[in-house]
Amino acid sequence: MSIHNSINKGKAITVTIDGKKCKSTFGKTILEIARENDIYVPTMCYLTKVQPIGSCRMCVVEVEGVEGMILSCQEKATDGAVINTNNDMIQQERQNIMKLYNVNHPLECGVCDKSGECDLQNKTMEFGLEEQAFTARDQYRPVENWGHVSYDPALCIMCEKCVRVSTEITGDEALKVKFGGYGSTIINTKQEKNYASLGEAAAVCPVGALVNTDFKYTSNAWELSKIPSACPHCGGGCQMTYEVKNNRIYRVTNAFEFSSLCGAGRYGFDYANENVSKDEKAFNEAVAAFKNAQSIIFSSQISNEEALILQKIKEQTGAKLVSYEARAYQKFMEAYSTITGKSLYGGTLKALSESKAVIMMGTRINDDSPIVKYHINMASKWHRARVAYMHPLEDNEIQNIVTQFIKYEAGSEEGAAALLAEALLKEAELPKSIRAFLDDLDIGNLSAESNIGEEELETLRRSLIKKTGFSLVVGSDLYAHPRAVQIAKLLALLEQYAGFNVICVPPAGNAMGISLICDLDDEAEGKTVGYNAPADFTLSALGDGDLDMPAMNQQEGTLTTIDKRVVPMNVALPYGGYILNDIANALGLNAKYTIDYTKALPQGKGFQAVEFDSLPDYFDSVGNEYRGYLLKNVKVSVKRAFDDIAEIEGFDGAVIYNCNPTEQFSAFTAKSKLLEEEAVLLGSQQFATATKLQDGENITYVLDGVKFNRVFKIDTSMKGTIALNPTFDMGLSGALLSSYRLSRLDFERAGK
Amino acid sequence: MGLEQFKNRNVGTQNYKMLDLGETPTSGMDKFKQVVQRTFKVELFIGLWVTLREMINALLRGQMHTVKYPFEKLPISPRYRAIHDMLRLLESGHYRCIGCGLCEKICISNCITMNTRYDENQRKEVSEYTINFGRCIFCGYCAEVCPELAIVHGPRYETASEQRASFSLFEDMLTPIDQLNLQKEYDGFGAVTPNADDNIKQTPLAY
Repeated sequence: MSIHNSINKGKAITVTIDGKKCKSTFGKTILEIARENDIYVPTMCYLTKVQPIGSCRMCVVEVEGVEGMILSCQEKATDGAVINTNNDMIQQERQNIMKLYNVNHPLECGVCDKSGECDLQNKTMEFGLEEQAFTARDQYRPVENWGHVSYDPALCIMCEKCVRVSTEITGDEALKVKFGGYGSTIINTKQEKNYASLGEAAAVCPVGALVNTDFKYTSNAWELSKIPSACPHCGGGCQMTYEVKNNRIYRVTNAFEFSSLCGAGRYGFDYANENVSKDEKAFNEAVAAFKNAQSIIFSSQISNEEALILQKIKEQTGAKLVSYEARAYQKFMEAYSTITGKSLYGGTLKALSESKAVIMMGTRINDDSPIVKYHINMASKWHRARVAYMHPLEDNEIQNIVTQFIKYEAGSEEGAAALLAEALLKEAELPKSIRAFLDDLDIGNLSAESNIGEEELETLRRSLIKKTGFSLVVGSDLYAHPRAVQIAKLLALLEQYAGFNVICVPPAGNAMGISLICDLDDEAEGKTVGYNAPADFTLSALGDGDLDMPAMNQQEGTLTTIDKRVVPMNVALPYGGYILNDIANALGLNAKYTIDYTKALPQGKGFQAVEFDSLPDYFDSVGNEYRGYLLKNVKVSVKRAFDDIAEIEGFDGAVIYNCNPTEQFSAFTAKSKLLEEEAVLLGSQQFATATKLQDGENITYVLDGVKFNRVFKIDTSMKGTIALNPTFDMGLSGALLSSYRLSRLDFERAGK
Repeated sequence: MGLEQFKNRNVGTQNYKMLDLGETPTSGMDKFKQVVQRTFKVELFIGLWVTLREMINALLRGQMHTVKYPFEKLPISPRYRAIHDMLRLLESGHYRCIGCGLCEKICISNCITMNTRYDENQRKEVSEYTINFGRCIFCGYCAEVCPELAIVHGPRYETASEQRASFSLFEDMLTPIDQLNLQKEYDGFGAVTPNADDNIKQTPLAY
């Protein structure tokens, strides 16, 4: 059958499944077509988001004219095939499989976490297995605690879903199968790293073998009420469900069959601004502060509705709106759209995961947005995509997927972008002015200044020949770069003229939503009010400001995601204090609830006039996403004007790079109990030599007026003279960091 | 003793002892005769003698039948559903509760609340267990559903209290460890049936 694979892909076919005529396209498996048509085929190991595993053999079907049984999860349907999903023989086969699964499976459903949502339990009931007629000699298999997750080999049915997720989706490649017949087991080859991304592997476990250590034995699944929401930490807005009992979030689950959640999303759920009551005095002060404020500073951790409220307050009081990260992103995207003529970038995560080549630039992607890294990993694993990583600093965590590391000097992003555009647009048809601009570039000089060898880009260019489906992932190093406008235009050329699937990863939280909704100003002046940012009067969800505000899991609203989707977020925990909408109402606006603003989000920027309560939030049976709505691309006038490439400012000596660890994004994830991460300045031996710093030394330095007090630690796996400076532990002042992420380190020693 | 003889409804074939009650008078004359006979047989004094005898027994011989509640209590049926008890394993003394949460789930008056956690020995441990007796209707579902016979109804039937809501904690209901030898098995609903041994099947052993 497989000989047709490449020839007829995409051709319309009709197959008959259980007497029902099903129309589909060639290339889909029998199981996929069955699910599209709501025909039930039982499976144990099938996981839609990874490639078919084929370890359970539950999905066997009978195809007329073909001898024996066929695995419907792997076999592609051919035109005219007549398929039966069930008969006595298949039923018996499935029963036998279930009997084998139940051999020595501990009868501890009473205490097992999975009880009530367990595939093995359900299928055992479904196939009516009342007794077990055979067994095998059991072996000693101790429970293992791997940190975030625990593994009980006795419960494991070896479906291998977790291994596939760890390899194909999250890319940590920690889990492996240790083969050995009945003694087979899953092993964690990278236990010392305690990857939070293993939470995703635990989520797909059909039995109670791989579970979250924190959740283990704390509650039965049926006791928890499920509150669908979206993850507020990075710009990913991934689907997730808070599971709540007695006003406490016990865990976070997700639609794991189709979507994924990174470690921070899965474990950074517990922080909430609790035990807050309505403090009328503080509220009145807040209203007065808003009336007098000349500037409102806010962080990216707010919903679209709150951003709109701030915008309306600005329209009333004339205060300046300042949100540094979002402003930088807004400017970048404005410049970007002058080339593409569209308000948004063209890329989507799905297209990214289907790319044959991916270029990353200006982002340490595994730390900035793990979900984007997951999609790059999928492209790498499924399509053997070439992955080029352009950055001043190598990242060991993504070495397994990066095929080419192109290092450029810190600060030389403009030159690097120009070289990249020049190299990749050699054969493209370009408007004359752009072609002339690219031809005029002094390649030799740029290459020398940015330290990118011409042959490196030539290798990259050649590796893309004869391939289709390229993606470019752009990150937040570029947004706050002094030459961000020029860089944006250069990279936009790749989307416009080379068909790249470009994703400009929002720098933090809901920066994308803010950049679309608010008229932001560059700098604050006069009296300031801060919302989750330090100011003269501070509204804080961390509970340390002048007036308390709800944390993200205590409010409803919408978020704008990397996929340019507006997704709903619901209330998981109660909040007793005042919210921004109360202040807005006191200032003369009129809305009963914050979500009354959902339908008022600016349609001129691509939002739709939809009520919050009518936003859908689900995946259908084949994984099509129905969450909120997609932003519309708005036409923007095109201006193809380029500046000359600026001289590159030298960055000699020790440089630090503002970058949080993979599981940390903001002051809110920092408060999470499960994501313990030490905030230290992490540098290489070479960095230590250059700065004459010793391991464990205390230093202080100032960035954008924020004072850092850090311990310096040497990481022997790192190279070069750039150290990683986390910002997540800085509380609200993290929102004040506005300049380029790489900066020269001027420090003072504060002793050991 | 099996159930067969109870199912046999043919009167006379069973091992019953019949009482000789004489014939019931039908005519007026017979009835009159019976009255006269009973009156002059001084049967009244037979009754009075019984009373006198019991009085003498109670007062002089210490055979009082009155139960001096609340100082004395009668034993109650093992099926009586009173305040819950938490039982322990006889061998180890550890409490039987495995924290499965079925009692919490089945409780129709929502009076059971429990919290569990992952303990140091990698077992499920009950960290908090309360029953709100202001709400409990003593239906016995919790004891019936309990797979470990850990929660049972004990014999403590005095449930009057000064407050409407009165809670019991796990420790209050648990058999004191020094009285483990006095712990009684529960025979109410959910308990092991008398013929449980007959119903047990052997675990398949291939080796």
